[in-house]
Amino acid sequence: MLWYVGIKRTCLVLFMLLSAVLQAGCSVAPWERGNLAKTQMLIVPNPNRTALRRHVFDSKESSQGGMGAAGGGCGCN
Amino acid sequence: MIKSIQVVLLFLFCSSLSAVEIGKSIPSCNRLDLSEYKNKVLLIDFWATWCPPCKQSMPFLNALRNELADKGFEIIAINVDEETEVAQHFLNNYPVDYPVVFDPKGHCPLAYDVKAMPSSYFVDKKGKIRYVHLGFRHQDELEIRTRVLELLKGEL
Repeated sequence: MLWYVGIKRTCLVLFMLLSAVLQAGCSVAPWERGNLAKTQMLIVPNPNRTALRRHVFDSKESSQGGMGAAGGGCGCN
Repeated sequence: MIKSIQVVLLFLFCSSLSAVEIGKSIPSCNRLDLSEYKNKVLLIDFWATWCPPCKQSMPFLNALRNELADKGFEIIAINVDEETEVAQHFLNNYPVDYPVVFDPKGHCPLAYDVKAMPSSYFVDKKGKIRYVHLGFRHQDELEIRTRVLELLKGEL
């Protein structure tokens, strides 16, 4: 009876490991990307608002940069 | 237990088995009845409202279809929006003259093994797939038109 439990446990562990490894098989098909294409799924959902806030932040802090933008703290933008 | 593992593995790997090949007949799809389009050159276009290039292609495809309809050319559009109402609302605002089939469950794109959106399958008069065009840019218009004309002449 013990050997049966052992095999069962081994199979369960094997199944869990395979499930973890085979996650790559769970891809989203090209025609199933409707939800991913929604505006709220964007990293920057509102580019204009983000740019305005960034500009206000730059002006208040008298500094610029650190967010991928070119330039330094010259205040000449 | 072992049987259930086998079933899971089979399910995971069988998704890559369906494929469409050039020169082969068009796959069957329960949403699509192509019996009335025999001896016609078909362009089967997969599109969705959330796909900007798909929407960009529609005025061009509609114009091409209207230009070549009397020569035996037809476009069948397959909409894959999960919410069909959204697609219908879009079509009310931007109507097209070719037939549109709604496939919210994605049976047809699975059968056709769609690789990108939009995808256009060019089918000759014998019902064989002759060319697959992935994506759409305005630069592609000439190529699409040329392929359709070649198929109408029976050259491709």
